[in-house]
Amino acid sequence: MDVYEVFRRGGHKEPFEHCGSVIAPDSEMGLLMAKECFLRRREGEHLWLVRRTDIHSFKDESLLEIAADKSYRFAHAYRDVVKKRDKARERARELGETG
Amino acid sequence: MSEALASLLTALADDELILGHRHSEWTGFAPHIEEDVAFSSIAQDEIGHAAALYSLLAQRSGGDADGLALGRDAAAYRHAVLCERPNRDWAYTLARHWVYDTADAIRLEALHDTADEDLRALVTKMSREERYHLIHADAWIERVAAGPVEGRMKLEDGLKEAFEEALGLFEPIEHEEKAVHEGYLPLPSSELARRFRELAANKLDELGVQTEIYSRSDEAAEFVASSSGDLIASGDEHAESQPERARGLGGRSGHHSDEFQDLWDVMTSTYRNNPGATW
Repeated sequence: MDVYEVFRRGGHKEPFEHCGSVIAPDSEMGLLMAKECFLRRREGEHLWLVRRTDIHSFKDESLLEIAADKSYRFAHAYRDVVKKRDKARERARELGETG
Repeated sequence: MSEALASLLTALADDELILGHRHSEWTGFAPHIEEDVAFSSIAQDEIGHAAALYSLLAQRSGGDADGLALGRDAAAYRHAVLCERPNRDWAYTLARHWVYDTADAIRLEALHDTADEDLRALVTKMSREERYHLIHADAWIERVAAGPVEGRMKLEDGLKEAFEEALGLFEPIEHEEKAVHEGYLPLPSSELARRFRELAANKLDELGVQTEIYSRSDEAAEFVASSSGDLIASGDEHAESQPERARGLGGRSGHHSDEFQDLWDVMTSTYRNNPGATW
């Protein structure tokens, strides 16, 4: 018997989300069980079954921590740019008028 | 601040900035779209580390981080020559990535015991990212070394090129003796180099790549590899007095290649256009 992780999709444009697991002798049987366990009240319209041993993850999850300041990867870090650009344009205009 | 600490911070920061800049040149051009993002992230990490180190230096000595990073003459930079070399091809880039991050891991491990408290905290932070960089570099060279033949041969060429100049990363920094004596650099560069050679020899053995990796042009910074992968290096304390500098050496005293001048022109052009501007 294998453990299968079950993923369910609520609607056509929804992402698959993990909803539980089943223990089954093979994937065909697993799908039948998953349907009864996780889709019996119309919770979704599609199921995925993945053998647990086929799922990969970092053994050392500390690798996923963000160690340093990564604000430059977010748009809010550049909010000032618009203001600065306007100021620069204004300055350029003034220089144009006086020069 | 201690001139020895300033020298150490400058060498560390310049290494990270210049290699980060070279890495960033792959953005949009890496041979694999996901890797393009991954490698660009690593470039940002390295430049981020440089920024943190420059900030620490600026805090202590006045001045500002941007000015230190971009407002100096090319001859004032103290990174190893290896960091400034053009990317050449993906194989060389990977080989240098591996050489650098292996060397960096060894250096950071030693710096966990540095006498400066702020640097110590920064090293802890940086180590967490550098650990991932090394995992990334390892993963790549292991796969390329496993074949097919063309990629493996290119990697061997790249490793040969990178190893020839690796010793430049362990060239003594300015005021090295003082830095060791004052505890900022807990181990002398020669000991770090020894550790690097040991690790590198094991890795090459593990990859089973051709290990005739040696310096062509000189005896001052020779990496000789036996077929077992053992690297033997011969140091030379009188490199300064030699008419022709050993390949890959000189960076720690500001002797850089024309290739660095090209990099510097590009890297600092915006800053020079409007010094002191905030972005």
